[in-house]
Amino acid sequence: MEYDRIVLLDGAMGTMLQAAGLPMGQVPELWNITQPETVSAIQRQYVEAGSRVLYTNTFGANRYKASGCGHSVAELVSAGVRCARAAGEGFEIKVALDIGPIGQLLEPLGALSFEEAYDIFREIVLAGAEAGADLIVIETMSDLYEMKAAVLAAKENCDLPVWTTMTFEKTGRSFLGVTVPAMALTLTGLGVDALGFNCSLGPKELLSLIRELREWTDLPLILKPNAGLPDPATGKYHITPEEFAFELKEAISLGVSVLGGCCGTTPDFIRALAEAVRGSSPAPRAPKVRCGVCSATAAAELGGVRVIGERINPTGKKRFQQALREGDIDYIVQRGVEQQDAGADILDVNVGLPGLDEPDMMRRTVKALQAAVDLPLQIDSSDPTAIEAGLRACCGKAIVNSVNGKREVLERILPLCKKYGAAVVGLCMDETGIPQSAEARVAIARRILEAALAHGIEKDDVYIDCLTLTVSAQQEQAAETLRALRTVKEEMGLHTVLGVSNISFGLPARETITRSFLTQALYAGLDLPIVNPNQSAMMDAVAAYRVLSGEDRGSEAYIRRFASAPAPDAAAHMPTGEMSIGEAIMRGLKQETAALTAAALKSMSELEVVDTLLIPALDRVGERYEREEIFLPQLINAANAACAGFELVKTSIAKRGEKNVSKGKIVLATVQGDIHDIGKNIVRVVLENYGYTVIDLGRDVPPATVVETAVRENVRLVGLSALMTTTVASMAETIAALHRSGHDCKIMVGGAVLTEDYAAQIGADYYAKDAKQSADIAKRVLG
Amino acid sequence: MEARLESIPHTEMLRYLSYHGSFLPEEIRADLERCEGLMLRTARPRLVWRMFALLPDSLLEGTDYHPGGEDIRAFLYDCDSVIVMAATLGIEAENLIRRTAGKNLADSVILDAAGSAAIEAVCDNFCEDLAAAFAPRFLTDRFSPGYGDMPLSDQRAIFSLLDVSRRIGVSLSESCLMIPQKSVTALIGVSDRPQPKRGRGCEACGNYENCCYRKEGKSCGI
Repeated sequence: MEYDRIVLLDGAMGTMLQAAGLPMGQVPELWNITQPETVSAIQRQYVEAGSRVLYTNTFGANRYKASGCGHSVAELVSAGVRCARAAGEGFEIKVALDIGPIGQLLEPLGALSFEEAYDIFREIVLAGAEAGADLIVIETMSDLYEMKAAVLAAKENCDLPVWTTMTFEKTGRSFLGVTVPAMALTLTGLGVDALGFNCSLGPKELLSLIRELREWTDLPLILKPNAGLPDPATGKYHITPEEFAFELKEAISLGVSVLGGCCGTTPDFIRALAEAVRGSSPAPRAPKVRCGVCSATAAAELGGVRVIGERINPTGKKRFQQALREGDIDYIVQRGVEQQDAGADILDVNVGLPGLDEPDMMRRTVKALQAAVDLPLQIDSSDPTAIEAGLRACCGKAIVNSVNGKREVLERILPLCKKYGAAVVGLCMDETGIPQSAEARVAIARRILEAALAHGIEKDDVYIDCLTLTVSAQQEQAAETLRALRTVKEEMGLHTVLGVSNISFGLPARETITRSFLTQALYAGLDLPIVNPNQSAMMDAVAAYRVLSGEDRGSEAYIRRFASAPAPDAAAHMPTGEMSIGEAIMRGLKQETAALTAAALKSMSELEVVDTLLIPALDRVGERYEREEIFLPQLINAANAACAGFELVKTSIAKRGEKNVSKGKIVLATVQGDIHDIGKNIVRVVLENYGYTVIDLGRDVPPATVVETAVRENVRLVGLSALMTTTVASMAETIAALHRSGHDCKIMVGGAVLTEDYAAQIGADYYAKDAKQSADIAKRVLG
Repeated sequence: MEARLESIPHTEMLRYLSYHGSFLPEEIRADLERCEGLMLRTARPRLVWRMFALLPDSLLEGTDYHPGGEDIRAFLYDCDSVIVMAATLGIEAENLIRRTAGKNLADSVILDAAGSAAIEAVCDNFCEDLAAAFAPRFLTDRFSPGYGDMPLSDQRAIFSLLDVSRRIGVSLSESCLMIPQKSVTALIGVSDRPQPKRGRGCEACGNYENCCYRKEGKSCGI
């Protein structure tokens, strides 16, 4: 495909089919088989109007949307390709296999997993390639994760060019919050052939998005807008073919080379467009000016200081190691949320622990993190399988940490970075270790850059780490590191990354040394410091640097940071006076509860603290809730405060390397078909605070998963929730499945539509009207 | 007509929180205030609607859709047209509630109530605007899938009529639940004669089955 000429696409298909008599509600792709001549006739009109790329009538031809129509996906797709091919006869036409959204929301908001989505797209791609499509176009996506699944499915299962267009609102975001930079960085990285926008808005509204997009990518640009905005009352679009064509001419002056129409456009629109662009070619484009990494919803643009948070890492952290061994992903996610709140721009993710399935843990952690935070991720591992698992699951453009000058490492990791479009950290060391001189480190950096370029990775995406050595052991090395850093930055023009904490190891008042070194490194040209963002001294230094370097315009962020800061350490030494743990919990005071628990742990065992202080306090809160003296938010606040106490107990136990105290395991799930999980979440917090280990299966959970987990973990109490009348049926099914399995366990149920009678009727052992009662039931069953 | 959301009534939030009339402490009052503000700043209400003439047998003109159940037919008895609407607070509100749950569950519960009250307020505001625009004609209350005997599966038809997913970014699960959860679809009848306020009283309420007040033999007072 050549993009230095204008490529004309077709216009709307769905509305044309409806005008030709397709009944609303019928699968439009069915006509590829039952009325191929009607489909071809519509497409033929587009060809005669000037279209040179025809989208096949396969927008919804996926396993999910077309189920029950009587034909397989392969049949619908290959018939679709045939229709388009027939329509283009006698013309030089490219047939694009059209792929639209699946129609089911992906995780974390929906129930469809990334892997299932990939599989659904793979089926379409295989059928389309087999049927002889010339290229693949994935369109109308508002979820970058779904788009990524489709792009990978296309690129891994055929050699055809891949075009992608997404749907955005006027605000510059998709319905799912995807930003233009995030789309550009991610899809350019994944190696699509052209990208842009379709549907959503009229040409005029989409132009400003095109202006933003071309700053972030050098790929050919596609624009396929609607015929303006629809009249709400009638659903009709309002602009004329001539207006449409006139407005799209401006897109050409912005360098857009692939143009067509979406909702509301007809062959007349394409004809007007063809006439308007006759003889013109897309304006030459300046190279992209911006770069960085991103999540689906936020980009960390390089050019200023971007802090990488280092806390998701088990090295030297007993409590973190315990969480990894117990599969406690929530604990890990909390470390991510904390760092985001503290001002990190990117999160390093290291979940490697001997004896653990690192690829699986990496995949789960990446998915859980991106559900909870907006930050781009840095996949930190030495295991290529774990790196690939992380990169694949990551929604956005990640960083890989790391490669070094060793030939075999470069050869193994760089292809992964290229395939998934990740940036890469290159450590200035090789087979011979860490060179002592700045010059030798720079030489390794050059080798790494060369290798990356040879693998097709852009220079912008290579970040060099000149390596921090401990100043108490090798004092002269601090200056060498800074010298190397300056050369890499200024002479090689590369971005730099550096873990700074190591510098102060073995010295008193470590923070003072670390902060000073950080400041010096920033002045030497460090872009991406890897630090603990929870240490406010580090973030203060970064904030100050951003003012002095001019990045923080008008010192706004700096002023905000310090205007709202509490007096130093006021929170840490909150006077607790004569307050008891019980009072602190009752009033929902987290810090006080933690302080009092810490004090109690000095003279009592962990178990004593739990049994004689924390749990009785929770009991009293529960009783007051039952008497309606307090209500739900207060109950939860109290539980959260108790949680702060329990966290100290767990840390104290982890420090001794012992297993956690647990009063027994409970499985909780919101049943299949139901997505309302707030009630279940409340129950979980309360149960955990009573010392039970809760295995939370989440929402929309199939009966089989509940049974498998209950059996595998030998759980004696299962809690199910359902909010809708319609999903109580699925609750009954889950209970029946548990009974059938013969596994010996009690079942408690809760949820708005349930009553005591109803619960008994569907075979539950207990009905819990609220979280307090679920704790009472747990006590009865598990003790 | 754009989606409007200016404030969220605290009385409604308390109702969603199953507040039973015990003493409301000052800090909870402050929490309501704070969560209302947070929800107002975060939510991005969107709506899509279309008007259809009503043909015999409650068929919507230009479609093959008959609203399901007997109740909706009685409801539209006096009407010659029907407005089909869908509204949502957007993924922004959904994420706010979900992500807050990981940090502070109590806030998340209050935000969830704020979201429920907010989407109802968006619909109320829209109906107010419609009533003004359609005067001197008259509108019925809103009637949604799940009310009375109108099946939840009517969501599928409504989604297809309005192209809800593409237009306002709401997704429908296989069990016909909407994501973002703070979303509403409804039918509103248009008539030449004044329409009774049927939307009051337990039977017409979308929460009829779920209502914690009703379970205890009480009423929320509406």
